[in-house]
Amino acid sequence: MLATGRGFPSCGRRSDSGAGPGRRTGRAFATHVLPEVEVLLRVATTLTAQPADAEDLVQETLLRAYRSVDRFDGRHPRAWLLTIMRRAEINRHRRRRPNLLDDPDADLDRLSSTGSAGSAEEVVVGEAFDEVVDSALSGLPDKHRQVVQLVDIDGLTYAEAAHLLDVPEGTVMSRLHRARKRIRARLVAAGLAPKRGVM
Amino acid sequence: MNCLQVARLLQSYLDGETDEVTARRVAAHLEDCRRCGLEASVYEEIRGALSRRGTPDAEAVARLRIFGEALLSDPPAADDGGDRGASPSAGA
Repeated sequence: MLATGRGFPSCGRRSDSGAGPGRRTGRAFATHVLPEVEVLLRVATTLTAQPADAEDLVQETLLRAYRSVDRFDGRHPRAWLLTIMRRAEINRHRRRRPNLLDDPDADLDRLSSTGSAGSAEEVVVGEAFDEVVDSALSGLPDKHRQVVQLVDIDGLTYAEAAHLLDVPEGTVMSRLHRARKRIRARLVAAGLAPKRGVM
Repeated sequence: MNCLQVARLLQSYLDGETDEVTARRVAAHLEDCRRCGLEASVYEEIRGALSRRGTPDAEAVARLRIFGEALLSDPPAADDGGDRGASPSAGA
């Protein structure tokens, strides 16, 4: 069995043979990490404002995953990767804005002024459904928009989103449901969805 | 199950996040109740609209795959990822 130290090729290049990392590391990385690249990019796009930042964040996540894959038990690779990404993202923010705390919510609250496109008045009645949804989405508070993106666009389960954001699943659920109700309300305002009494 | 109960569960149901028994009861109600059925289809359309915006940049995905694969053939000189490295502009 090939032991690759404690999982870290810690002093410069590990292999001078060009054979790459320990075979086990390589296999674990190829099995657990590489298939998740697309999901990671989707999630990173949700977490960051700029596409270039998203790509950087995924690279950083891949690097960190590579370095710790030896210690990963192979269960729930996506959850494991999302945790790594979350830490990388917090770290990135700290580097740029060191006053921020670990709490992604606080972070999101602070950012909630971004992308406030399309108030109800600005939504022109008769606009296509997708456009109204789009505009409603970007008009949501970041905390809510993010959960909608993670679940509806990035395809995470409630549990995975909760894991990533480090909040209880119930919080994900209530934010998500409230956010969608707001999107729905926009559609009603635009005459693209029926009014509803019960909800 | 009445409309109010369904209204509370509808989104979780559509997300596949309810247990099987609940899901069956919601589904049965949606079959019978036009108003709730309509409500469900509005949420499904919203989800459809949202998922259409989510196609990630194929080139970026390809670049990242190459990056990932390159880690295997050419492992980085590790410094533990800057996880706890001092930030360049500490104290700013």
